[in-house]
Parts: sequence; C-alpha cells; structure tokens
Amino acid sequence: MAVTDNAITAQQGEPPTGRADEVAPTRVVTPSGTGTPFTRILGIATIIAMALLVLFGLFLSPADVVQGDAVRILYIHVGTVWIAYLAFGVTALSSAAFLWKRTTSLTWDRIAGASAEVGVLFMALTLFAGSVWGRIAWGKYWVWDARLTTTAFLFITYIGYLAVRGLGGSHQQRGRRSAVVALLAVLEIPLVHFSVKLWRGLHQDSSVADTTNVKLHDLMLFSLFLALIAFTLLYAWLVMHRQRVLAMQDAIEDKGLDYALQQRRDEGDL
Amino acid sequence: MFRIARVIAAKDLRIELRSRVVTNQVLPFAAIVMVMFAFALNTDAVVEKVAPGLVWLATLFSLLILVQRAFAIETADGATDAMRAAGIDPAGIFLGKAVALAAQLAVLEIVLLAAAFVLYRAHFRVSGLVLLVTTFLAATTGLALVGTLYGGLAAGTRGRETLLPLLLLPVVAPVLIGATRATEAALGTSGAVVADGWPWLGLLAIFVAVFGVGGTLAFGPLIEE
Amino acid sequence: MAHLGFILAAYIATFVGSAALAAYYLNRGRKLSAQLPPEDKPWI
Repeated sequence: MAVTDNAITAQQGEPPTGRADEVAPTRVVTPSGTGTPFTRILGIATIIAMALLVLFGLFLSPADVVQGDAVRILYIHVGTVWIAYLAFGVTALSSAAFLWKRTTSLTWDRIAGASAEVGVLFMALTLFAGSVWGRIAWGKYWVWDARLTTTAFLFITYIGYLAVRGLGGSHQQRGRRSAVVALLAVLEIPLVHFSVKLWRGLHQDSSVADTTNVKLHDLMLFSLFLALIAFTLLYAWLVMHRQRVLAMQDAIEDKGLDYALQQRRDEGDL
Repeated sequence: MFRIARVIAAKDLRIELRSRVVTNQVLPFAAIVMVMFAFALNTDAVVEKVAPGLVWLATLFSLLILVQRAFAIETADGATDAMRAAGIDPAGIFLGKAVALAAQLAVLEIVLLAAAFVLYRAHFRVSGLVLLVTTFLAATTGLALVGTLYGGLAAGTRGRETLLPLLLLPVVAPVLIGATRATEAALGTSGAVVADGWPWLGLLAIFVAVFGVGGTLAFGPLIEE
Repeated sequence: MAHLGFILAAYIATFVGSAALAAYYLNRGRKLSAQLPPEDKPWI
C-alpha cells in the first residue's frame, strides 16, 4: 500500500510519503525542463500566430502592385528584423540594469545574454530572407546600401558580444564585462549607421531607393502586423526559456564538484 | 588622473624605445601589407584610385598588432593587476596607454603615407594639407582610444587575444570610412575636392569624443579581474 | 505564385531556424533540470 502511494506521489512530483525505511530518501522526482503554464500558453499562442501568418502571408493577402509576390517575404523579413532590434535593445537595457544595481542580480545578465542570442539568430534570418528578397526585387543577393551594411555590422558586433560572454571567469565578471561591451555596442551603432549612410549617400542607387519603401494597404498591412505579433511572442518564449537554461547552467557551475559527487552518490544508492 | 597617464605613457614609450618592436617588426609588416595590396589589385590605375583606403586598411591591421603588444607587456608580469591592486586610477592607465599607442600609430601612419606616395603614386597637394593633417590626428586619436579599450578587454591569458580582431574591427569601421573619404578629399583621389572632406572629419571628431568619454568610464570595469 | 521557390525558401528557413533553436533550448532545459533540485528552479 505504502509503496503504491509512493509510486503515485513520486509521479506527481512530490516527495514520497512512505515510511523512511521503505524508500530512498534523497531522490525527488520533479517536472523536467524550463516550461511553466505561462510559457506553454505563450508557446501555443505563438504557434497559432505563426500559422495565421503563413495563411495570410502566403495565401490570403494579395501580391503587391509593384513587386508582386516578393512582398510576401517582407512580412517575415520585417518580423525578424523587428525582433532583432527589440532583442538588442533589451540586451542593452538589461546590461544597464545589471550594472546599475550591481548587487547580485545575475538575472539581468542572463536576460541580456539570452536576448542577444535570440537577436543574433534573428539577425541571421533577417539577412537571409532579405537577400532572397533582394534576389527577386533587384536581381542581386546583396547591395552595399546603408541599411544592409549597418545590419551586417550589427550581426557581427553581437556575435562578438556572445564571444565575450564565453570568456570565462566568475559570473559577476562575465556580467560586468559583457554589460560594458553591450553598452559600448549601443554607443557604436549610431556612429556606424551614420557613417555608412553618409558613405552610401554618395552612391545613390536608384533601383534600390525606389523599391525599398513599400506602401502596404489593408490585408497586407494586417499581415505585417500579424508578423510583428507572432515574432514578438516567439521572442518572449525563446528568451524566457533561454534565461532559465542559463540560470540552471550558472547554478550547476556554482555547485561544481560537490554537486557532481552528490549525484554519483545518489546513483549509487538506487 | 593626468599625472598617472603621463607616467604610464612615458613608461610604454620608453619600453618601445628600448625594445624597438614597432620599428623592427610592425613597420616592416605594414610595408609588406602595402606591397601585397599591390600584388592583389594588379592594375596601377586601380591601386592609385584606392590608395587612401589601402593606407587606412594597412593601419588597421597593424593596429591589431600594436594593441596586442601594448597589453602583452602588461600581462607578461601581471602588471595590470598589480596596478589595479595598488589602487591606481584605471582612467589614468587608459589615457596613458592610449597616448603611447597614439604615438606609435602616428609613426606608423607617416611611414604608410610615404609608402603610398612612392608605391601607389598618390599625389600630394598643398590645398589639402590642413585636411590631411587634421584627419590623421583625429583618426589616430580615435584608433588609439578604441584600441586601448578593447585591448584591455582582450588582454590576458587563455586565448582571449584572438577575440581582439573580431571585437575591434567592426568598431573602427566609422574611422575607416571617415578617414579614407577625408584622405581622398585631401589628396584629390578620384576627383574629390577638399571641401568634401570636412564632414568626414566631423564624423571622426564625434568618434573621438564618444570613445574618449566612453573608454575612460568603461576601462576600469573591463580590466577588473 | 511567382518566385515560389524563393519565397518558400525564406519562410522555411525562418521557421526551421526558429524551431531548431527552440528545440535546442527545450532539450538543454530538460537535461540540466534533471541535475538540479527544485530550489534552483524558482519558476516551477
């Protein structure tokens, strides 16, 4: 009886309730992973939003008068670039927050890191979708106009930021170092944007200028907003999970050798 | 802060004078880079046209080596840690090392410019002299400031030095763009007029201001170990 | 649809890329979670 009760309670994630001499005292079964009810709802909302985006983006919305079906890529492209900018903004703010109340809230540091990682992925996707769009609209995968060049620059800068995060040292050192690098990057971006704009302003490629400002109406505008919502949900979901993974990584590092030994002992007991 | 900067700058320059690493290793490296550009680009007309850009590219590549060197002399004996432990103002260390780096960069750039006149047939014109000199001063200062800043970050043990190019080159992109365009205007390459160059100089000045202030503030946290 | 191949490539790359990252995060989460007691996981 007691054993069955224990089996049931063990499955439900609580410590066994049987007598001490009947069960192994150390093992507790906990629900695995980084998910919580909130993230599950968020995840479902994201999937629904993405499905709607595909429906509207690929089928229900009309082709553009000027650029035809190529506009469908723009929904994705604008969605991913929006997340990337949002992500890097969050990284900068979290970095500032970490440095500001520099007590011990490594959560800010982890949010900064998680956000930057997601941002880098979406920057890569932006560049990919953008170059596919460029291939259709301009016949070229890449042009050296101000926006593209600055975007490529941003991408590399944050790869550098992620590399700095991997330099090692204590969590506080990592946090402080990466926070400073993130804030320097934020200072740097307008400089680069301005200099590239000035530079490319001398070589105004008219074919590029005409087709980059697209006027969207009705269903197309709706598809675009749908994309923004869908990708924002995705961003939030990814960052929450990543932040929790980073928290666990830090906790495991903190516990270090003692913990590994304890685990080996636990396994021996069972 | 300035007294410390002066002491540190003097120390760095004295070390360089005695060891002659810049003159014996970095300058020849820069020269060979200039030669290799010519090999790669092949046509004389092309090389003449892009000469200002090549000068600044060679400067940037040499900057990487100069920065590594500037911090290698510290980490070899744990000098930076000792200075921090002694409570020396990191802003002073930052400015001192930046000044020393700027001096070495300046020597390098003069040599590279001379090489451009000789190898790439760049033309000098008196009307562009003020612009040219100011550009070099501004760009050198900017490069020295960011170089010292990120050099401090990338310095140390365990394979951090390889991070320096990845971090530094994107950051100096505005200097590359601005200095090249301003130099083109000063020298009259590709038909540029001197007046075209001044907006770029403005950009360089802003760069110097941003990283002068930003670097002074950021250097301390970055080198803390 | 014109340029269908390109358009699909962009859509698929985006969704596959996102899904891959999501799967990676979830997997890491599961593996690390098995090694830690609940007090280290304040979100649960």
